[in-house]
Amino acid sequence: MIEIDKLCKNFGDLEVLKGIDLTIRPGEVMSILGGSGSGKSTLLRCINGLEEITSGKIIVDGLDVSRKSELREVRKKCSMVFQQFDLYPHLTVSENITLAPISVLDLEKSEAEKKAEELLESVGLTDRSHYYPAQLSGGQKQRVGICRALAMSPDYLLLDEVTSSLDPEMTAEVLDILKKLAGQGITMISVTHEIEFAREISDRIVFLDDGKILNDLPTSEFFDENGGLSDPRIAKFLSKMSGR
Amino acid sequence: MLDLSSMSEHMPAFIDGFIITAEVSIISILGSFLIGLVFALMRVSDNHIFRTISYWYVDLFRNIPFIVLIFFAYYGLPEVGVYIDAFWTGCLTLSVAVGAYAAETIRAGILNVDKGIIEAAKSFGFSKLKIYRKIILPIALTTSVRPLGSVFINLILTTSILSAITLGELTGASKIIASTTFRPFEVYVFLVFFYGILTFALSGVIAIWHRHLNKYNEAN
Amino acid sequence: MYGEQGFTAYDFVLWAEGLGVSVGIFLASSVFGLAIGILIGLTRYYKVPVLGKLLMMISEFLKNSPVLVQLFLVYFGIPALLEIDITPIQAAIITLTGNTAAFGAVIVISSVEAIDTKQLEAARSFAMDEWLILKKIIYPQSVAIAIPLVVGLAINQLQVTSLISVIGVVDLTRVGDIVNQRTFEPFIVWPIIGGTYFILAKLLGLLGARLEKKFSAYRYQAGI
Ligand SMILES: Nc1ncnc2c1ncn2[C@@H]1O[C@H](COP(=O)(O)OP(=O)(O)OP(=O)(O)O)[C@@H](O)[C@H]1O
Ligand SMILES: [Mg+2]
Repeated sequence: MIEIDKLCKNFGDLEVLKGIDLTIRPGEVMSILGGSGSGKSTLLRCINGLEEITSGKIIVDGLDVSRKSELREVRKKCSMVFQQFDLYPHLTVSENITLAPISVLDLEKSEAEKKAEELLESVGLTDRSHYYPAQLSGGQKQRVGICRALAMSPDYLLLDEVTSSLDPEMTAEVLDILKKLAGQGITMISVTHEIEFAREISDRIVFLDDGKILNDLPTSEFFDENGGLSDPRIAKFLSKMSGR
Repeated sequence: MLDLSSMSEHMPAFIDGFIITAEVSIISILGSFLIGLVFALMRVSDNHIFRTISYWYVDLFRNIPFIVLIFFAYYGLPEVGVYIDAFWTGCLTLSVAVGAYAAETIRAGILNVDKGIIEAAKSFGFSKLKIYRKIILPIALTTSVRPLGSVFINLILTTSILSAITLGELTGASKIIASTTFRPFEVYVFLVFFYGILTFALSGVIAIWHRHLNKYNEAN
Repeated sequence: MYGEQGFTAYDFVLWAEGLGVSVGIFLASSVFGLAIGILIGLTRYYKVPVLGKLLMMISEFLKNSPVLVQLFLVYFGIPALLEIDITPIQAAIITLTGNTAAFGAVIVISSVEAIDTKQLEAARSFAMDEWLILKKIIYPQSVAIAIPLVVGLAINQLQVTSLISVIGVVDLTRVGDIVNQRTFEPFIVWPIIGGTYFILAKLLGLLGARLEKKFSAYRYQAGI
């Protein structure tokens, strides 16, 4: 379980997160929506300790993210997938996936490689393990990014706009994989601009606006005329997104 | 301890040295620029022999230490009946040696000129000479101001080696001051700072000039 | 007149000795210099307070003043200030090490900064610690970027070693000077000396090309 309590985050004078309270239960698939600059990425990065929090608390399965000694354990539980993939360019696909499992989780090399093969097979990249990232298409890179995250056997998967640097065709191939994952019981927190996708996979939608949670509803209620859509800001956001 | 006051009375000698450094530098910068330009053009020409000569010139002079070249010139020139003093031997050798670096820099500038612009000029029926004079070289040289600047700043630092053939430029003059004052530490620290500030100032001027000349393509 | 004695077989021995001194001092100052350069670069990268800035300032002056003057400063200046004795070879190694370190630091900094920092963040997010990131991600990539620059620096520093002849180190150039003074054959002596440097530079270049190939496999594979 991830418990976020009165989380505030400032960059200098800029207040980006202004008191976030949020609880994410195991097995839940949650999507975070919101306009550009509303603080979605920052929230996700705070959960992984990539940003130091200004005040408030984030507890992941009883571990305090702001404690250096506990952050390492938190990071083993929460894996991130990034918008720009951020693969290590000097390592092969297989090495990209196995680096952290071998060096952080102390997995045997052969074991890690076997697992990488299985993961690659599950995302349709069976014969690409010896390629370098630069030899892959964007969609293939992001599928490797997903494998890299899954190789840590995380309890939580944090996804930050993982399809927004992909063209439509590649977006579909990556979303398909995520849909499959969502059905497998992993806890997923996904920042996305793909409204239809969010609607399809999420149990719950959180809408961020100007650093605050404007709405936190089960998916069906969020998209209901009398629920989330009754808020003009959300209605406007959704119509803008689907108008793209 | 550090004592710079004893140096002040030697300021005139230091300034004399600086003037020689400045003269050698200016003459050699002009010389190496002209030589560099000629060899750069030879290097990009269609003539196979020109290209080969230019290639070897650049390769040779960039891989042999300057002090070896200056000794060769200083002792060699009189053997072939060329009697010039240390000053002009210095200017000549610097021009030829640094010309190799200048040639390489100008060549890079030429190769960087957008092929589309050249094609366009050709389509208007300009002669090859005109295209070079009016289009390629102006563009290549404006974009090369900064790299050429570093080449010439290096040239200024290299003038110090002329003290080895008895020229009384900055370093040569300072050597004498150091041995008459018995304060070599102060003299050479001062000299390091002097050269340092001189080159900082010059790089600053070059950077401004470069930006000024390249304003038109700031967008990219 | 005292000169005009012609060449002797001993001149070849002299040449070989000078070559050994030049190469030896070049290797020593390159190894020490690069090691110190890496340390300076890292103090800068990890933003070590005061030290990082101070070292960078010193290296700016080392890069922007003639090596010959630095040699004089170390060989004549420091002994006078500290009242100690320094041999020409010690002065040569100290000066060239400092000079190589100054340029090496720039290479280290620029090749570390050339790495996309977002992948470092990705690594952190997978619970990798800073040492592991330095070893597995920063080091291999920055080496690939740095090798051609280091080769260029080495070829340059090889030429710079010739300056130590001026403070009396009997290196290749000094041997040339000695033999030239005796034989008055500048057209034989200096082309041989210059040619030796030229060949050394070419050998360094070849070595560098091989290293480059070895360390930057992923770039070739990617076709960039
Ligand atoms: N490292 C940083 N330093 C300063 N300001 C930052 C930093 N990171 C983010 N910000 C600012 O914080 C605000 C929120 O950024 P964030 O990236 O969390 O937004 P977002 O909701 O993810 O937006 P987008 O949809 O565009 O990705 C923005 O105004 C951004 O400029
Ligand atoms: Mg974002």
